[in-house]
Amino acid sequence: MIYVENVTKEFKKTVKNPGLAGSVKSLFHREYETVKAVDDISFEVPKGEILGFIGANGAGKSTTIKMLTGILTPTEGKVEINGQIPFKNRKKYVKEIGVVFGQRTQLWWDLPLLETFSVLKQIYQVDEEQFKTRMAFLNEVLELDDFIKSPVRTLSLGQRMRADLAASLIHNPKVLFLDEPTIGLDVAVKNNIRKAITQINEQEKTTIILTTHDLNDIETLCKRIVMIDKGKIMYDGALSEMKQQYGKYREVNMSLFQNEDYEQLHFEEDLKLGGDDLKVVRNKEKITVTFHSDKISVSDLLSYILNKTQVKDISVNDVNIEEIVCRMYGNGVSAS
Amino acid sequence: MSNIKARGIGFINTYKAFTKAGVQSSMAYRASFLCFVLGESLYCFVMYFIWKAVFSSSGNSTFMGFSMTDMTVYVFLSNLVGFLTSTDSTENLADEIHDGSIIMRMIKPVNVDFSLLAFELGNKVMMITCVFLPVMIGVEIYRFTVLGYCAFHIGNFLLFVVSTVISYLLAFYLNLIFGYLAFFLMNIWGFSILKGSLIKFFSGSLIPLAFFPGAVRVVFEQLPFASLVYVPTMLYMGKYSGWEIVFVLAKQILWLGVFIYISKVIWKWAQKRLAVQGG
Repeated sequence: MIYVENVTKEFKKTVKNPGLAGSVKSLFHREYETVKAVDDISFEVPKGEILGFIGANGAGKSTTIKMLTGILTPTEGKVEINGQIPFKNRKKYVKEIGVVFGQRTQLWWDLPLLETFSVLKQIYQVDEEQFKTRMAFLNEVLELDDFIKSPVRTLSLGQRMRADLAASLIHNPKVLFLDEPTIGLDVAVKNNIRKAITQINEQEKTTIILTTHDLNDIETLCKRIVMIDKGKIMYDGALSEMKQQYGKYREVNMSLFQNEDYEQLHFEEDLKLGGDDLKVVRNKEKITVTFHSDKISVSDLLSYILNKTQVKDISVNDVNIEEIVCRMYGNGVSAS
Repeated sequence: MSNIKARGIGFINTYKAFTKAGVQSSMAYRASFLCFVLGESLYCFVMYFIWKAVFSSSGNSTFMGFSMTDMTVYVFLSNLVGFLTSTDSTENLADEIHDGSIIMRMIKPVNVDFSLLAFELGNKVMMITCVFLPVMIGVEIYRFTVLGYCAFHIGNFLLFVVSTVISYLLAFYLNLIFGYLAFFLMNIWGFSILKGSLIKFFSGSLIPLAFFPGAVRVVFEQLPFASLVYVPTMLYMGKYSGWEIVFVLAKQILWLGVFIYISKVIWKWAQKRLAVQGG
């Protein structure tokens, strides 16, 4: 369905020297540097899968999505979706995809929402019958009825996002690209959007690529994730596997009666543990010890701590997915 | 054959949707439109009084083949043409490029230029109906009272309509090319101002090109800007005859072709080195 092979995207950036002198200089003479936004990535997505695409800001997610949607042309490499090359015949290709950029809107700002849909109906040449069933379905899933007659500029962000999602689906696309579809939304709307995405995926077998910073989106929607950092793929595989691989970490959260007691704890010397196997973060009274449960058992660590200090409060937790992602980003930074 | 027909209908339906949306959008800002019309009319009258002062101080009743009546008609008509062919394509496109929202146009199965054009046409429908007829009737009543007979010529009027349509398309594509500059400059404000002054001067909307000295006039008349305002206005006034008419219309079409071609080339080139702003 979606094939991405050794794709690289380079941008030329102008370099400006600091200060006014630099500005004046750049008026006459520009220096360029080449930035690799996406660096030799490859992946495949089979039909009907929801793929979560995650990465820090500026990691290259959006650039990748823009290449997949035919907006940007890759510097190198091959992209093939639905048997078509996105940027080759853009107009033909985009008929079969739906796109939502969470930070932008494809709705007509000054028109009632309903008018946007009828414009889209004509642009995609959807016939009346299909349009009606489609609208009924989207209405039901995304609850558009309350505001379908209001001008788009008067909609709230949550309403607008639901409308944008509906607009991207009006022509029943085979592939749906969602670039941060839950950005800035409250929990209720987020849930609504997630429910809708799941339903659409199940009913229509739509292939979906989703980027997000909200890892709850990933947990509820995706079985597989691709993680990207500095333009390179850091991880490609099942979400459950990643959790297993990194899920061996546990964390101990505690606070002490006397903060000076902390000086009594010498994890590195006494337990011979450090680096990735054991990390300590202190935030005022709260102390968090993250450790690999293969290297030291929970009971050993707890008894060591309890022997040395007077503990006011203590708990042992699983590391959540956000922690895992942070850890992987961290590795990415240190590896480069 | 039927395939071509079906595609043609699809094409028309697609862009008709943009035109319809344009009509509806323009309804959202009626007050701003009204102020615009008032401002333009005021400008016309100022120009009229300036030329009146020029004519009365020169002592001659005609100047370079223009009588005061001609001049009055020219002022109002050239401004009408300027208004009918005015286009926001530079700003609209440049803004979309600047803030990156052009990608929302690119994810639709439509041409960027046609969709902008169709939308703008929709935007203009109300303007045209509200301004075109009153100005036309006003000009003809004026001519009738001054000259004592009806000077309206249906042939010239039709030529004027055809020429104005070409002129609008020409203006649209010329402005589109300026808009595409935003890909390379990211801020085209300065260029926009420069373009505005150039067009005002070279198109004859400030001073009829006939008033310029021989050689300069000949050069100016060949430039694409002359096709924007001067040619339609002169056609209406019946200042061209016979082959001249064919020649000026052919020149308009030629320039239109050139600009469409340039805009397509730039768009193709820009797409390859496109760097989308923000997000």
